[in-house]
Amino acid sequence: MLGVTVLSSAALAQQANSFFGRPGGPGGPGATDPGVRGGTPGAGGPLHGLSQNELNFFNAAKNVFNEVEGVPQGLGPRFNLDSCGGCHAFPAAGGSSPATNPQVADATANGAKNTVPSFITANGPVREARFVRNPDGTPDGGVHDLFVITGRADAKGCNITQPNFAAAVAQRNIIFRIPTPTFGTGLVEAVPDSGLQAALASNANLRASLGISGVLNHSGNDGTVTRFGWKAQNKSLLIFSGEAYNVEMGVTNDAFPNERETDPSCQFNNLPESTTNLTNTTNSGSPASDFSQDIVNFTAFMRMLAPPTPASATTASTGTTSSSSVQVASNSSVLPSAAGSSTNSSAASTATLTRGAQVFANVGCAACHVINQTTGKSTMTGQTNVTFQPYSDFALHSMGDGLADGVSQGNANGSQFRSAPLWGVGQRIFFLHDGRTDNLYVTIHQHASRGSEANQVIENFNLLSLTDQQALLNFLRSL
Amino acid sequence: MRRLLYLVMAIGLVGWIAWSYGSVSRGAVTSSLSNPEDGAVANGRYVNTYFDLSYPLPPAWTEGLAGPEPSESGYYVLSSLVPSGEHDSAILIAAQDRFFADKPDNDLAAAVSDFREAMARVDGMTIDHEPSEMTIAGHVMRRVDFSGVGLYRGMYATEIRCHIVSFNLTARSPERLAELARTLDDLSHSTEKDTAASVPVCIKDYAVADNLLQRVEPVAAGPRFTSIPVRIVIDGDGNVKHTHFIHATAEQRQSIEDALRQWKFKPLRVNGESVEVETGLLFRFTSPPKS
Repeated sequence: MLGVTVLSSAALAQQANSFFGRPGGPGGPGATDPGVRGGTPGAGGPLHGLSQNELNFFNAAKNVFNEVEGVPQGLGPRFNLDSCGGCHAFPAAGGSSPATNPQVADATANGAKNTVPSFITANGPVREARFVRNPDGTPDGGVHDLFVITGRADAKGCNITQPNFAAAVAQRNIIFRIPTPTFGTGLVEAVPDSGLQAALASNANLRASLGISGVLNHSGNDGTVTRFGWKAQNKSLLIFSGEAYNVEMGVTNDAFPNERETDPSCQFNNLPESTTNLTNTTNSGSPASDFSQDIVNFTAFMRMLAPPTPASATTASTGTTSSSSVQVASNSSVLPSAAGSSTNSSAASTATLTRGAQVFANVGCAACHVINQTTGKSTMTGQTNVTFQPYSDFALHSMGDGLADGVSQGNANGSQFRSAPLWGVGQRIFFLHDGRTDNLYVTIHQHASRGSEANQVIENFNLLSLTDQQALLNFLRSL
Repeated sequence: MRRLLYLVMAIGLVGWIAWSYGSVSRGAVTSSLSNPEDGAVANGRYVNTYFDLSYPLPPAWTEGLAGPEPSESGYYVLSSLVPSGEHDSAILIAAQDRFFADKPDNDLAAAVSDFREAMARVDGMTIDHEPSEMTIAGHVMRRVDFSGVGLYRGMYATEIRCHIVSFNLTARSPERLAELARTLDDLSHSTEKDTAASVPVCIKDYAVADNLLQRVEPVAAGPRFTSIPVRIVIDGDGNVKHTHFIHATAEQRQSIEDALRQWKFKPLRVNGESVEVETGLLFRFTSPPKS
């Protein structure tokens, strides 16, 4: 088993710097991440082909997804933010962390007196924090919410305090997670286990030539394949919703009906706080939405949320490069941005993107970031036997000491992560599970470290010409 | 010398018998109690006694980043090698246990052919050298070369002890790839044949009712629904002599080890002499662990 993985600031920075001084590697002038693709969001709408009733449900559910909750609606006693849509915001509702972190303002919203932890910054990623170990040294791994409702006008009498994050940072006992984008997740949910297993088996010999194995995560309840979350630990969008509603916002629901914080002074509602509505008081146009509890609405929104649309060649690379040259990483260390701060206004040509796609497949990225998956029979109109492009095998891979976070989830160990789906990566700001960088070039190199299955692929990337490395980055930003 | 001749004859006969069970290794001679992942680079050579391989690194090469631990499907990154100077090439030595592969019935030819087809389907990839067979250091190898996006690659694979062992070469130029390929000519055995212990015969699916006199099921332990691949060596008396957990938690390991200690096989005898057998077992706990 690999060792624990929470690196010191110095170690993390040293690790990152080592990529930039390697002979023949990305030393000196390197390929440049074109930055977040500009233009209209290529995501946020419903799946193509849905029925009118389904569209009505989607639209109403989207509003529920974006609702801001207060204590009377169930917020707290501990929470990370007060809405789903606040974290899953960019480039559209359902996405990932926005450029301006709403957690900073939420810390003191409505009279709250929370201290903003050092790893939360105004232009950094939305983050949740997990402690690696308990004080007695046993594994923890659980989410420790950033904020409390103490001091809020709607939480009179509650008097709990935030965890001691400064101590956890000092003891290197903390890791972070950023929100996973939820675009297209209904299609992912509709892929049968046999489809994921077959896809994994089909390229076994290819992976074996690249040092890659990979294994699907499984539910400890029924043994079926789990596929959502950074470690593919969540079985379904409903479980994902129910857990996040309780853990991230503190709202109890039918899937997770008990408060995690039981201090008597902070219990204001009957439980579960979100449950099935017996009468329709909303009249949104979708009775299904109106009667359903919130987590069913979240599920419906994500289930019918379309995959991101890749850019056309002429708009693929017209964004601005990373505005910040560094990003806060684990334990407040920083990683350098290779992108610099210039504006890249040159459009990527069709030829460049075609070449980038070839590079993606040739060097082995596609061995894990498997391009195609196909749904099975689906209750959603028009979504049966649909082949789509998530760029993921949804399997777990050992990612080495550099990325390992020491947290086990399901059957995933501390160094295993799901192949992050790359669809929509052109319009994502922060990368990797903890949002340690906003730079794709750095992200690629962070895949390599002791114990990583990706080491050989990164070796291949380092052997590429600068032109081909750039083509790959341009291609990725077109997704 | 006569003893060595008898040994070779015995191995040949066992090989013929074992083939009827499904698959069998081409029996090399090596230490019987080492494991595939035990190989290491020392004094400029990669030496692996389990596979009986010794490979002198190209001049001024060194170990790259270590790979992951052996996987649930019995896949090993044995070593990653890189030049210490200009970064213009790389070598990956890997092994896939045939007992636990995602494509379980792959033999060497099929695996290389499947790999060739996969590479041929990649947009922009060219197959430069169709799969062909050669013998290097006494090992029958299959080779396929391919190139794309400025990378020239060759895979040389052989089968040892029911594993497909591959040397995966990558270079920035065809000339550099050819140089790397020539270094494989320096492959040799890791041990002196006349001093090495005999290698168990590997037989797929050997732990079946016909061969088992006593089987004790392990108590469920550790996480459920994970694959736990185990290689065992059965001695000439039918006892489990060596257990290699390829991928398991400590609790799973303990439980399975306790059970295997009580397993008893019919001794495999060839030509009147008992022979050691190496086979694979795949455990998967589906019931909750006993508290």
